[in-house]
Amino acid sequence: MGIRVVNGSNPCHAPPMSNRENLTPDAPWIQISTTEADWDAAEPSLLTSMLSQLVLIRTFEEAALELAAEGNIHGPAHSSIGQEGGAVGSVLPLTSADTVNGSHRGHHQFVAKVLAHVAPEGIDPRADFPAAVGDVLLTTMAEICGLDRGFSHGRGGSMHLQWEEAGAIGTNAIVGGGVPLAAGSAWSHKHAGTDNVAVTYFGDGAANIGSTLETFNLAAAWDLPLCFFVENNLYAVSTHVSEVTGEPRLSARGPGFGMASWKVDGMDPLAVYLTMQDALAHMRSGKGPALIEADVYRFFHQNGPFPGSAFRYRTKEEEAHWRSRDPIDQVSSHLVRRGILTEEQVADTTKRAKALMAEILGELTEPVPGGKPDERRIKQSEWPDPAFVDVGVRGDLSELEGLRFEDEDSSTAELAEVKFIDAVAGVMNRRMETDDRIVVLGEDIHRLNGGTNGATRGLKDRFPDRILGTPISENAFTGLGGGMALDGRYRPVIEFMYADFMWVAADQLFNQIGKARHMFGGDGTVPVVLRSKVAQGTGYGSQHSMDPAGVLSTNPGWRIVAPSTPFDYVGLMNTALACDDPVVVLEHVDLYTSTGIGPVEDYDYYLPVGKAAIRRSGNDVTIISYLAMTQYVLKAVEEVGNIDAEVIDLRWLDRASIDWDTIGESIRKTNNVLIAEQGARGTSYGGWLADEIQRRFFDWLDQPVQRVTGGEASPSISKVLERAAIAQDPEVVEALRAMDLNGTEADNG
Amino acid sequence: MAELLRMPEVAAGATSAVLSQWPIEVGSSFSSGDVIAIIETDKAVVDVEAEADGTLVHIVATDGEEVAIGDPIALIAGPGETVEDVDATLASLGVSESSPATPASSPASTDTAAAPQAASSPAAASAPTPTTVDETTASHGRLFASPIARRLAKEAGLALAGITGTGPGGRIRRRDVEAAIASGTAAPAQSASAPGAPTAPGVAAEFTETPHSRLRKAIATRLVESKTTAPHFYLRGSARVDRLMALRAEINEGEELRVSVNDLVLKAVAVAHTRVPAMNVIWTADALRQFSGVDIAVAIATDTGLVTPVLRGVQNLSIRQIAEATKDFAARARSGGLKQNELEGGSTSVTNLGMFGTEDFDAIINPPHSSILAVGAAKKQPVVAGDQIEVGSVMKVSLSVDHRPIDGATAAEWMREFTALLEQPAKILA
Repeated sequence: MGIRVVNGSNPCHAPPMSNRENLTPDAPWIQISTTEADWDAAEPSLLTSMLSQLVLIRTFEEAALELAAEGNIHGPAHSSIGQEGGAVGSVLPLTSADTVNGSHRGHHQFVAKVLAHVAPEGIDPRADFPAAVGDVLLTTMAEICGLDRGFSHGRGGSMHLQWEEAGAIGTNAIVGGGVPLAAGSAWSHKHAGTDNVAVTYFGDGAANIGSTLETFNLAAAWDLPLCFFVENNLYAVSTHVSEVTGEPRLSARGPGFGMASWKVDGMDPLAVYLTMQDALAHMRSGKGPALIEADVYRFFHQNGPFPGSAFRYRTKEEEAHWRSRDPIDQVSSHLVRRGILTEEQVADTTKRAKALMAEILGELTEPVPGGKPDERRIKQSEWPDPAFVDVGVRGDLSELEGLRFEDEDSSTAELAEVKFIDAVAGVMNRRMETDDRIVVLGEDIHRLNGGTNGATRGLKDRFPDRILGTPISENAFTGLGGGMALDGRYRPVIEFMYADFMWVAADQLFNQIGKARHMFGGDGTVPVVLRSKVAQGTGYGSQHSMDPAGVLSTNPGWRIVAPSTPFDYVGLMNTALACDDPVVVLEHVDLYTSTGIGPVEDYDYYLPVGKAAIRRSGNDVTIISYLAMTQYVLKAVEEVGNIDAEVIDLRWLDRASIDWDTIGESIRKTNNVLIAEQGARGTSYGGWLADEIQRRFFDWLDQPVQRVTGGEASPSISKVLERAAIAQDPEVVEALRAMDLNGTEADNG
Repeated sequence: MAELLRMPEVAAGATSAVLSQWPIEVGSSFSSGDVIAIIETDKAVVDVEAEADGTLVHIVATDGEEVAIGDPIALIAGPGETVEDVDATLASLGVSESSPATPASSPASTDTAAAPQAASSPAAASAPTPTTVDETTASHGRLFASPIARRLAKEAGLALAGITGTGPGGRIRRRDVEAAIASGTAAPAQSASAPGAPTAPGVAAEFTETPHSRLRKAIATRLVESKTTAPHFYLRGSARVDRLMALRAEINEGEELRVSVNDLVLKAVAVAHTRVPAMNVIWTADALRQFSGVDIAVAIATDTGLVTPVLRGVQNLSIRQIAEATKDFAARARSGGLKQNELEGGSTSVTNLGMFGTEDFDAIINPPHSSILAVGAAKKQPVVAGDQIEVGSVMKVSLSVDHRPIDGATAAEWMREFTALLEQPAKILA
């Protein structure tokens, strides 16, 4: 070789004498298949239970498809017919305390889990099905049809099946969306000192999405007892797995994340059962998560009663091959072979299951008046009351009753001028000290003496196992927090280093956390606090400088607080932590370094939900603001001098918590409104508020509701451009003067 | 040397008046005594006469614009004098706005100038120059007012049409309504509901609304003020007027100028006031004002409403002079030609509905008067003369009296004198 390496190695051409070594992942990757000996060794009651579950699930789904074909199911009904082996084999070794969630194709897993819950000793296929079995199947079918007697009063339907008592914590219509939530459940199992596990079911399609991959990493990093159960049915709708990934053996991904992984034939329920036993032993002994890939096949298309071949993305031959490996046939043949059941008994099991389903459909439907013979419709009495539409979007706040509510003017605490950031760290120290349920998670919060701003100072030393420094994966750790909140044993506090990261975690914030309570029936609790830093003016540029209030307020499930003083921070954070609804606490980095009135050592008072603060009383104009903009507004009012402005610091920004009493009283007095905020116009907060004000107080307005916002574009890093993009006191001064208010010089003279 | 022509104070205490019309064009010259502006107040249309010869250089107030007393309405200069830079001259005289400057002969362009500075335009918000709404509303039929302004006006019973807006595009704002309430200049709003009339159940009567005229508003304001501030009491009297009628016939015989019964009544009132001077007073805030002469207002109905020009020194006027004056008043009242000063003063009024056959009625005192005499028709009826009943002409009168300056006995004494005069009419002429 004529190349002479002068300094260091040549990255492109390895020297001929270099050593090469094949590396292997540390985590095992194992394929399990059964032998006849396994079938012979299996307990008869295990095999009969498998058959009962397989047949009940199959006939249940056939009944659902029947209703769908009649137009009696609104929306999709994704059947899993053909895939039951994976669900039954993996659920049977679980207890009711183990939790499962799943995807849009989740009937089989859900039914398996609730059947195992109501019949923990198994279901004998020879005997009449227990009443409880009929009851849960009826309730499940009602939910799939969108009916009031369903688990979620018909709000969830086919894709959002939840029965927490059975450990079925909710299936999910966002591909991969439920995976981080299951991690929250797993974290709770582990932190509570149990050996319970969480299982999250998803398909091959979800194996490529960020939520899933981020959660692989997070669960492995934290050794969470979480089973990622991939039902690889080869097709994401019509796209074959080999088209969308370089390694279609999806379990190959586990070792790359340091996660023990198994591959198993999912059409063989016993093989799945044995695999799950191994995985459970691994997880229950604290060794971290497991990945199981079960190869399965759905006999029908994505949804509806037609096979995939009807849509030409797969062949009839392929379908016939997989149908020949039907899990029901496999289990029945071994039962008959071993003389446990006769063929007649197997056939009778199916017959009785079909009769049960007919009974269930009869309970929910009635003949169409004047319709054709056999034409049926949902019984009118089964539908939910349309008035139920918005019930339970958020809680009734009864959990806050009896708390020590105090405002600054009525405070019994010793108050002084304190640093804002000390109030932030102080109240969290105090709450974590009095409430073991509080867990804080976010990036770098455990280092740097309290994270990047000192907000979590001192917490890691005092509460090492409740301060969780996360990987940079907002969607996963936000979802993990959401999963904790839905689980209910812990009250997570999630920190976003910058508000703009909201978009990265948008699925978890909005589709999952924000909607969960309502979607699952309106009576659950979701006690999660999101501390979102707002960093306008720090020079971090276009992707780190947004005010998220406007976007957050579009989602009705979230409450939003915006503390502008140390006193308010403590009281609002305490209320947020005590509230059973999701609450965002906006924290402006400008305020961190500010000082203001706050408690010297009393961190135990609460500010009431929905109470704004009047920072200045006046008669000429009502200026509505929040967070760091409040101080700029007060400064602007002083500068203008001759306008007697009333300045309202909203504190609570969401539609449900906003203080209409204070706003209304002020507007009736001043008849003029200016809404002032710092952030960019497009994502700004005040639009909905202006709309609401003009409708509520039209007859009291003396001019259109005026607004101050930042510019159209997101703030740039260049200092002058950044300043020009955000609104501060000069912009408020200009707006006030343009309003041509009564307090002009002429009038004052 | 150019100078400003300012809105004159045509009525005591008025704060503003409307520039009704410019009879001469911008740039034209005028002579002393020429009418160079026509101004309208609540009560009258007043000609503003030039004090000296000159030229109308520029107008500041446009037709129909309400202008505060003392504010500039035009720039005038000496005869033949021209002004190169109107804006600079106006500025040097302290008038900052370079406003309409359009000749009165092209009112359409005034609309353009005063057209709403589109409320949606950001420029309007940043440059909120007050503009008047009158022309805009008059020509477009659309009144801009903020919601709270509408609400306050409704609560105060005021019509928005009479209020000048100072907001963007002439929008009426809260302060404008408050100013109108404070000054009492705006007119009461017409009630939208049809009073009294029975209607089919559930179907409200249809109605049309006619915007109040300035005169109608003035009448309303003054009468409300009277009824709410002057405590009225009423005396009724009647007199046999056969001799009065005979006297009138005798006076009119062969004369072109006809003397009315009312002219005789006016004279009788003047005599009665002379005999009972305690009636010839008015109430003012701080003092009782006693008049030496008798000035009497005559109520004259016109198509647009009631006007009350004042006859001066009636005690010294002959019947013929009274007749001439009232006829002149009536003619000019109907043509809108009464002068402001002819509408002011007096201590009492006479209102007569006898020509309509009304027998008797009570009237509301016309401020600042202390009384008003309501005169009914002279009607033949049985009267007791001695112990006999005979047919006689009887006139019934009702005197409304302000109890603040006048007590009942004084009024009763007056009524006795007055009815006696009617029955012995020669004494009226004495």
